Amino acid sequence: MSACDVVVIGGGLSGLVAAAAAAERDKKVVLIAKGVGAIAVGSGSIDVLGYEAGGKPVARPLAEMGKLPSNHPYARAGKQATAKAFEFFLDLCEKGGFPYSGSADVARWVPTAIGTLKPTCFLPRSMDPAPLEAAKAAVVVGFRGLKDYYPELIIRGLMQVPAYPKRFRTVIVDPEMAGRDVNALDIARWLDTESGRHACIEQMLTGIAPGNVVLVPPVLGTVPNYGVLEEFEKATTCKFIEITGMPPAITGLRLYDLLVSEIKKRGVRIVEHATVTRAVVDNGRCTAVVTHGVDRERTHPARSFILATGGFYSGGLEAGVGSAREPVFGLPVKVPESQSDWSNAFLLSGGAQPFARFGLDVDARLRPTDGSGKAVFENVYAVGRTLSGFDDAFEKSGNGVAVVTGYRAGTLVA
Amino acid sequence: MKGYLYDSDRCMACTSCTVVCPVAAATREFLGPKMVGPALSRFRRPALAPDLAADLCSNCKNCDISCPSGVPISTLNMLSKAEYYRHHRHRLRDWVLSHGQLMGNLATPFVPLSNLAIANPISRTMLGAFGFAGRMPLPAYVRKTFRKQFRALRQQSFPQKVVFFPGCYIDFYDPGVGLDFVAVMQANEYEVVVPRGLGCCGTPMVANGFPGAAERAVRRNVRALQEWTDAGVPVVACCTSCSLTLKQEQQELFDVPGAAELAARVYDATEFLLELRDRGKLKTDLKQLSGRYLYHAPCHLRDQGIGRPGFEMLGSLPGLEISDADAGCCGLSGSYGFKGDRYEVAQAVGDALFKKVRASGADAVISECGTCRHQITVATGAKTLHPISVMRRAFE
Repeated sequence: MSACDVVVIGGGLSGLVAAAAAAERDKKVVLIAKGVGAIAVGSGSIDVLGYEAGGKPVARPLAEMGKLPSNHPYARAGKQATAKAFEFFLDLCEKGGFPYSGSADVARWVPTAIGTLKPTCFLPRSMDPAPLEAAKAAVVVGFRGLKDYYPELIIRGLMQVPAYPKRFRTVIVDPEMAGRDVNALDIARWLDTESGRHACIEQMLTGIAPGNVVLVPPVLGTVPNYGVLEEFEKATTCKFIEITGMPPAITGLRLYDLLVSEIKKRGVRIVEHATVTRAVVDNGRCTAVVTHGVDRERTHPARSFILATGGFYSGGLEAGVGSAREPVFGLPVKVPESQSDWSNAFLLSGGAQPFARFGLDVDARLRPTDGSGKAVFENVYAVGRTLSGFDDAFEKSGNGVAVVTGYRAGTLVA
Repeated sequence: MKGYLYDSDRCMACTSCTVVCPVAAATREFLGPKMVGPALSRFRRPALAPDLAADLCSNCKNCDISCPSGVPISTLNMLSKAEYYRHHRHRLRDWVLSHGQLMGNLATPFVPLSNLAIANPISRTMLGAFGFAGRMPLPAYVRKTFRKQFRALRQQSFPQKVVFFPGCYIDFYDPGVGLDFVAVMQANEYEVVVPRGLGCCGTPMVANGFPGAAERAVRRNVRALQEWTDAGVPVVACCTSCSLTLKQEQQELFDVPGAAELAARVYDATEFLLELRDRGKLKTDLKQLSGRYLYHAPCHLRDQGIGRPGFEMLGSLPGLEISDADAGCCGLSGSYGFKGDRYEVAQAVGDALFKKVRASGADAVISECGTCRHQITVATGAKTLHPISVMRRAFE
């Protein structure tokens, strides 16, 4: 493979942002992706810091970051880089034609498809819950046959939220879909078509009135823009809010498509369907990484490497009996001595899982360190869920850490 | 056989494949790769009633490309199709479409009569009755196959050798691509070898549920190439489905001794040339070119884990303006889009690409895959080229 400045390993959110940030600095970047990351099926909202370690909700994420321990990825990246990373992300979305709203200063609570709220910070405009907070009544639109989306369940939950209206009603749209189960992607594709949009608007108008606030599943088109949203708002003079749903959750797919298209515009070369299995190292430096296909190995030389392979679910970290490791560079992952301390046996206790914090320890430049705190390689950087010191699931910070550390590594690479 | 490669239990049902599947996007009759591949395959063990759920799968492999857990979903689908046809009769149409080499050997001596025989209105109606898509013309056979023309070619001898695997499309329909490859290699001081005994790579047989015939094809090719792979000579194909089969698919499906050793030496032509360029082994005094081109990456190239070497090579040729269509699958998938009951799906899949081609105003569309080029030309009228044909102009 042709030599380049930077190889990014991993095509999830942290890898995409790292590639974009490095390419922005005119680096020649190759991104190697095993598959598509969780971003393509997730909600696309950027959760920054939802809960403190004790489980208390965080009202002001950016301010709260000052209190985080020094090994938390936000603390490693530093205040300035964190703020710049979010600016960079917002700018990317703007340039991609799908501007996000929100800030890391204040937590936004957004409704979910099971009628709960979740804390986040940056959202597509179509998911902004502000109109709901200002409304006296709201409408929940359902789609006949749509899986994992029940208006009654949503209404029952949202009625309990003090800031929300107490009156909800339901409108059911029939997309008249035969064949397999209907998911949000099917509806979004239907609304990509002009005939689908017209039929949907016509059916909705039987149950909504001008000025209503209308909650819909994440189905307002598959393309990263606000075309469908704007058409709906114009045709009905209502405010629409997409709520987060189960995978495939479309809003994430839009963000994924946007980021892939933005990094391609910046000249990043993407190698799809390739798994990096090992690194070639020489005297404290990595000189190349090696992909292993069904056919043979291939070498990808570069000056710097960004490890964005994710955690245990995506194979970025591997657990064995009594130990865990990072498989590409063979980096150590610190774990409690007794394996019974790895997990919280009370699965539904609401408490955090210790293994969720396992990952790579890094220095201030995000380079993985050995037991003594010294960088193992001078030119290898780790980002996103590969890192230790945070619990993305419990504190609701996964996408935020991915954006911040991805951006930070992209600005550090030589 | 690398059987561990299709462990369906590695699937965590994340739906990434469902999101990218072009067939699922085009028709609601297809249950989608996650359901048809890993989910249903659990119930297929141990061979319960075989089902045809996988029949709508075109084996384009976008599911495999997207899977974050490395499950080759399309291969699970092909295994299920094979199981179905162990208990059911094939359609004659599917036999014809998957035995291109035999059909080519029969038809070529009678060109142009054989082309007339399949392209006239009466026979097209008859073909329609047999289940072919009336609106999708089959590519026309050439009078002189690539192998015939190659035998007549006087090459300059060089110590560096490379084996060329022509495959059916280049041999019977598009020999110019093979000749362009020979010319590019000669210009770079390589001698091209086409061993006797090579035939179809087997992928059309896999896609149409003829695993036995496919395995025989694989065995024959491995045997024909063995002395060259033993000698460490690279084996290069200009057809991305051939190179994908030789590298990967045959190892996922069959247990053929020597297949792994062959796979380790197989290259897509553009991959091979890019590697030579990076090692400083290619001629650098290139002719100035001109023209504005649109590039389409075949799915079977994207699946190989090598990026887009053809696009990269073309981008470095002097004077060429090239942009990436980036519009997904063309829809034809080898034999799929020629079938009457799959034609509408194939056209719907390719629609985004066709629109991009029509809007581009490019001089030609460049793509490595022969059937992608056929689909693009039939749908849009655009001129199409293999990257090697453009490179020949720069190197010669």
